[in-house]
Amino acid sequence: MSYLATTDFANDGAFLDGVARRLRGDLDLSWLDEPRERVRCRPQNERRGLTLRDLDVGRYGWSAMPELIRQNRSFAPRGAEQPDGLPDLQADVNRKSEVWAYNLDGYYEEAMTRQWNATTDIPWGELLATDLPEDIGKAYAQLLTFLSEVEMIATDVPAKWLGRLNADFFEVKNFIASQAMDEARHAEIFRKRALSTGFGLMRASSHNEHNLKFLRDADSFAEASLALHLQAEGMVLTLFRFSEYVSPTEGDKKLFRLVMQDEARHVGYGMQHLKWVVDHFPERRETVHRHLDEAENFVFGAGYATEVMEPFIILAGKGTKKANIDEGIRIQKMFQTKQGDEYFERLAKCGLPERRERSRLWKMLELAKEAG
Amino acid sequence: MAYYAEKDFFEDDRLVELVTSILAGNLTLEWFDVETARLQARPADPNRGLTYQDCNLGPYGYDAIPELVRNRNSMASRGSVLVPKLPDLGYTVNRKSDVWSDDVCALYEEAKSRRWAPAVDIPWSELLSADDPLREAAMAQLCTLLEEVALVAMEAPARWVFVINQEFLEQKSFLCAQMLDEARHVEACRKRALVSARGLGRASVPAEQALKELLSAETYPEASLATNLLLGSISLAMYQALAALARTRADRLLATLSMQDVARSVAYGVGHVRYHLRHQPARAPMLNEYLDRTEHTMAGIVGSTEWLEPLIVLAAGSRERAALRRGGAFARRWFTQTVAAYLERCEAAGLGDRRQRSHLPGLANRLSA
Repeated sequence: MSYLATTDFANDGAFLDGVARRLRGDLDLSWLDEPRERVRCRPQNERRGLTLRDLDVGRYGWSAMPELIRQNRSFAPRGAEQPDGLPDLQADVNRKSEVWAYNLDGYYEEAMTRQWNATTDIPWGELLATDLPEDIGKAYAQLLTFLSEVEMIATDVPAKWLGRLNADFFEVKNFIASQAMDEARHAEIFRKRALSTGFGLMRASSHNEHNLKFLRDADSFAEASLALHLQAEGMVLTLFRFSEYVSPTEGDKKLFRLVMQDEARHVGYGMQHLKWVVDHFPERRETVHRHLDEAENFVFGAGYATEVMEPFIILAGKGTKKANIDEGIRIQKMFQTKQGDEYFERLAKCGLPERRERSRLWKMLELAKEAG
Repeated sequence: MAYYAEKDFFEDDRLVELVTSILAGNLTLEWFDVETARLQARPADPNRGLTYQDCNLGPYGYDAIPELVRNRNSMASRGSVLVPKLPDLGYTVNRKSDVWSDDVCALYEEAKSRRWAPAVDIPWSELLSADDPLREAAMAQLCTLLEEVALVAMEAPARWVFVINQEFLEQKSFLCAQMLDEARHVEACRKRALVSARGLGRASVPAEQALKELLSAETYPEASLATNLLLGSISLAMYQALAALARTRADRLLATLSMQDVARSVAYGVGHVRYHLRHQPARAPMLNEYLDRTEHTMAGIVGSTEWLEPLIVLAAGSRERAALRRGGAFARRWFTQTVAAYLERCEAAGLGDRRQRSHLPGLANRLSA
């Protein structure tokens, strides 16, 4: 049997007498006169409405939050009075620098205002009016199968951590919830697009799934975020940009643009979180490097995922004739270079410029560049 | 770090050879000859776009999910071809009737199309000139507790998304929509409390004890019953009351928009339990027994000072004794109706008539006396 409340409320005479008394209009009203910090938050900019930033006031705000949350172990909203007897929710993550990010509130507000709908925001009629040739259609269906496969990991991972974070980090929890919804929408859009091509879903990707398991099983939120938001989603963001470029119709380009908007937000959070970790929890630096060592091992091993690289080459070259394949390979190499460069650039911006020196992936990419 | 790749790929000569060969133009095309069903999803109604119902086709559709998912434990898309060496992602909820509801796809579509953003969709400036300190204090206290409730309602689906098999994609997507709905309620209620000029109120010991019990349900059907049906019924009734008692458009909108979201969770809860019991009728006694020992949490939440008193004050509109008695009468009717609606939902879900075995009707009668 699971947790049981310390009181059986339906059979507690004193509790029920109190309820009956209140229902007769005999109120205690102790909550009304309790001393508290009285603030009136107001929108700083009427056009943006009342944002989370407008609530960053006094004991209610995040600026006043200590690095270690020692006091609140319950669901008490940050800043609320905490009477004795609140339950211990046994949060696993109680250190601000494990979860926080610069501009966190901005990412959340953006997520709330930029929700879109895969059912109605894509010109499905236009997409269905375009018949794709066999080679392009199959290559596209395979790429979409891969994308629909990877997207839901980014719902599972945030969901796994949401309940483990202290309630004082509600802005992070809210951002995580918005990310889970974003990723559900991505899984939906890629699945729907694959099924609307008429070629069906194709083959699962073994190597990539092991990479997903690596993301899922990280030991800490900071490691999970590093691998998911910054490394994996960062690289997927570059893939989306190139997919927009190589996608067969205007409707598909719109699809990738919408998805990129969400993905960029997640990468933004990942970067600002890592920057926060490096600035506020420098002892973590070595752990970060070690986690990236293994994350990059998976990235390099993705060469085995021919079901991703080859459809991309065919789509980029627009066919399977030799000239098409050659052009596709040229674009694929460009993509790989760009993906690697952007990844290491992001890490440098987060305060890890030494990553290039340490990384075997960087060395391999440099060798590939030299080899042309 | 808990999981490692099967090898150090940087030392893998075979990999370098493979990639070099592909980049020299020798594509393997192993994936190209995969044979899956060639079906094309089309919108049944172009005005509604391409829905998940439109994608319910052959082996790709949700109708094709077997009751017991035995051989798909990775993230492979439903209907795609499995390859050797796919990892096991450790899902522990693998039975369709443990999670499914006939209306889950429609509810997911509704959740997306009825999205709202508290920052901009509530006319907050209306509240800045509020000149009734008692009312503002009651709203601040009630919204403090509603923020606690929403935190729990956000965490409940999150706990389960991670362990539910990927085959149930549409249902997992609905849980993600629920998480976002509740994040929105956390935000909206906190904002409402903090524009009141009162600050946040007091956390509630009885309510939190009850919420922790609801949150820690051991199986998904119990968890869904606890949070969607039981807690959802309470929240829905409270937002209805707030809408009825609202004096500004801002408060009415906050309540009605939240109601819309919570009603979706309640609908899923009813549909889910109904589907569950249609396929596993032997579970009905167990779920009824679960409710027998868990329904007291409803009393813990709605009977807590922090929930009940602000509601009475809002209905009374004043601290005068006669007004508070009127407020108390409003709360009694509210509680009786909330219990009745909840029990009707239990019956609609297939749990039978719980009026005889549940503590709640007796409690409502006793408190109304």
